[in-house]
Amino acid sequence: MAEVPAADTAKTTTPEQPGQASQSATAKPLAKRTLKDYRSEVKPTWCPGCGDFGVLAALQRALAERNLDPRDVVIVSGIGCSGRLPEFVNAYGLHVVHGRALPAAQGVKAANPDLTVIAVGGDGDGFAIGGGHVPHAVRRNQDITYIVMDNQVYGLTKGQPSPSTPTGMQALRRSVSMPKMAPYEGVLEGQLNILAMVIVYGCSFVARTFSSQATEMAKTIGRGLDHPGFAFVHAMSPCPTFYNTYDPWKESFMPLPDDWDTGDRIKAIDMAMEEVGDGVFHSGVFFQDVYRTYTDKLQDVYAKAYGDEQATIDALMDQYA
Amino acid sequence: MDQLDLTIRIAGENGEGVLTVGDVLAEALARSGLHIYTFKNLPAEIKGGASMTQVRVQDTPVRSPGDALDILMVWNQENYDIHVGEVKPTGVVIYDPDECDADESLALTQIGVPLQTITKTVIKTMKSKNVLAFGILTACLGIPFDSAKQMVSESRWGRRKEFLESNINALKQAYVYVDENGIDLGLRVAVERKNGHAQLIMTGNDALCMGALAAGCRYYAGYPITPASDVMETLAKAMPRVGGVLMQTEDEIAAITASIGASFTGAKVMTATAGPGLSLMVEALGLATMEEIPLVVVDVQRGGPSTGMPTKTEQSDLNLAIHGAHGEAPRIVIAATNTEDCFYTAVKAFNLAEKYQTPVILLSDQHLSQRAQVMSRPDLSQVEIVKRKQPELNGSVTPEEFDRYEMTEDFVSPMPLPGRHDQHYVATGLEHDEHAHIDYSPEAHIRMTEKRHQKIESAVNEPGFVQRYGAEDAQLGLIGWGSSEGPILEALDRTLAKGYKVAALIFKMLHPLPEKEARAFIESIPVVSVVELNASGQFANYLQGRLAVSLQRFNIITGLPFKAGDIEEYIEGVLQYG
Repeated sequence: MAEVPAADTAKTTTPEQPGQASQSATAKPLAKRTLKDYRSEVKPTWCPGCGDFGVLAALQRALAERNLDPRDVVIVSGIGCSGRLPEFVNAYGLHVVHGRALPAAQGVKAANPDLTVIAVGGDGDGFAIGGGHVPHAVRRNQDITYIVMDNQVYGLTKGQPSPSTPTGMQALRRSVSMPKMAPYEGVLEGQLNILAMVIVYGCSFVARTFSSQATEMAKTIGRGLDHPGFAFVHAMSPCPTFYNTYDPWKESFMPLPDDWDTGDRIKAIDMAMEEVGDGVFHSGVFFQDVYRTYTDKLQDVYAKAYGDEQATIDALMDQYA
Repeated sequence: MDQLDLTIRIAGENGEGVLTVGDVLAEALARSGLHIYTFKNLPAEIKGGASMTQVRVQDTPVRSPGDALDILMVWNQENYDIHVGEVKPTGVVIYDPDECDADESLALTQIGVPLQTITKTVIKTMKSKNVLAFGILTACLGIPFDSAKQMVSESRWGRRKEFLESNINALKQAYVYVDENGIDLGLRVAVERKNGHAQLIMTGNDALCMGALAAGCRYYAGYPITPASDVMETLAKAMPRVGGVLMQTEDEIAAITASIGASFTGAKVMTATAGPGLSLMVEALGLATMEEIPLVVVDVQRGGPSTGMPTKTEQSDLNLAIHGAHGEAPRIVIAATNTEDCFYTAVKAFNLAEKYQTPVILLSDQHLSQRAQVMSRPDLSQVEIVKRKQPELNGSVTPEEFDRYEMTEDFVSPMPLPGRHDQHYVATGLEHDEHAHIDYSPEAHIRMTEKRHQKIESAVNEPGFVQRYGAEDAQLGLIGWGSSEGPILEALDRTLAKGYKVAALIFKMLHPLPEKEARAFIESIPVVSVVELNASGQFANYLQGRLAVSLQRFNIITGLPFKAGDIEEYIEGVLQYG
């Protein structure tokens, strides 16, 4: 907290900070870590072919490229297939209740800004039950990377429609499970445009990536990790069991234009809105700008609240004398 | 010399400034070496409605809000009608004759003071009406003008120089009026400005905040809710001064999960809420139990259910605090009894949370949290702080070998902290084994359920959470918990003095239940009654269920705190008529 210097921007540069125990038996201060170093002893429980395997590997690769000490990494998740991800990574993990990965991650980061904090979850966890937390995580702009594994379906509960399921008959035709919940006319509710929402909330980093494009995904997640502020990564990750979108998504994914200006929020919103009608998904960084983080602003608060020396509890009690 | 014991009530339209009169009077009397106990009763709305503030003043510590009134000051007819029935036969009513008609048939001393007219025509600043009212009261108490003048200068009315002159003038007009009209209640309250900082004037919420900070709390997340918002507001100012973080979250669910996240890294964390917020936190409380994460949740109880009565007091969240969970999620539930105790119980709440790696619910209530009392300044060098059990730093145990939920003798396992210990693990709300790996086997669930329960049950041996008072050979025993302690003990003293054989057992720990003490008390006394501010007798039901005993109950559900007189009457009733 206060005694710790603002480290929001430091994590990408020195992999061994904060080295309280860097000489311990298990730390690897010199060797460059590889993807394997982030693989835990627990084998993923996902269905064969699940897009989340791709996200897991991409995240592990991004962590390895930054040589982050597993001791300094916390992966926070809620409930759902994707919520199981922290178990499979060799790092600290905090698996909380449904929809609350973001508040938990913010508590972790606020209490120890030196940690690399990653929140992960699905479209239901993040935009149905947990949807109320997203704008506030964006407002606080803590240095947290939030990876939403969007398969447009509830997988762990076996195939109900989610907030990002396409409306009407479209999903019904492609899904083996959707007829359970929407057997007549498909989903009646409109489809949330998750990416556009997050851009409009004012997020400082918004990107999309596809689990079938491994290299690209590791790069995008890495950029999210490097971004000093709240980074939102929309990781499209198909569910082959309940709503198999591999084929249509492979066709509809395309990179953002070469000359894409990541500094133009209005254009980013336009793109996120228009691509739906065009039936395409763009991958890459839609928007990025660097704003002061919550941790940065706290330093100003501390400067005003106590200056050089923190108050004693006795001094605080003087106001009641 | 008779003991000083005066109960003074000021009542008027909410938003008119009556509360300020009470606050300044209480602070001024407290700074003059006297003990005070305030009591406010106001509507939940910002403006409008009848509101009242009450100050009970004694020369020894005050334990309850006071019974019938010695002095009632009312500013209008509505408040006259509401409160005049509570004045003692020997008491005095001060009313504004231009705003209300006094009931001449009452055998009370009733003094008309045209507060509104004097303010309008003589003082000419409506803002100073409350200073005038204050002056009438201090003059009636026999406090010399010079002392009252110092009180005003040192109060919020003296903070801004440009208003000080008009405020002192208003005070002077009060003394002139009392003098010219020959008003003399025969009171000579001795005041002497005490310098030094040995005594503090605090509300329960203030004391609780200071206790939390003294215990090492450096992260707070919360969402506004009456009557717990003061905690967040006090900490918003204090927390940054000690280098901590205060986060106002988007709801109570975020508040508790963010707190869990912060505690996961090793921070001492707290969130405070009231009933509706505690309802929202229930799921995450189970998570903290499952992941064995220390956490302090303060519940400032108010009248329920639903939105209920946000500004009224009740002890009706006990069931929720103890039992509110899906599955079986044991946690520690403790309750504070008075302002000073709020400080020390907050410290204990953190110590218990850290020692047992568990959520601790600290129950307060609206009346306890918002009334002001005088307390001795805590000696911080005497405050014991407990640290969380952690693995050895630089130890050679690899994460693969390390058991986060190792079965230890006391069922508490060393907890590694990210950024500090290499033994990283995944804390999960799913059932798990010692190694924190997910495990739904019968064996794992049996072992871990036992670990979670045994750990909490052993906290019952912590000292200082249950206390017996009164006669050894009592015919009637009263059981109370939390903030009803004060009125129960005052009633106990009064009835003991009258020769009744009565005893009391006060609980500050509610879960785990100090069963041994409860059983010994209940079995040694012919009639035992549980005194609490709820309709169903939540603590009585809980005791009956655990101990298989039969208990009497004394419950009130007015939304107001117990008066010592209520309990005194109850004791006399039971012992005289059975």
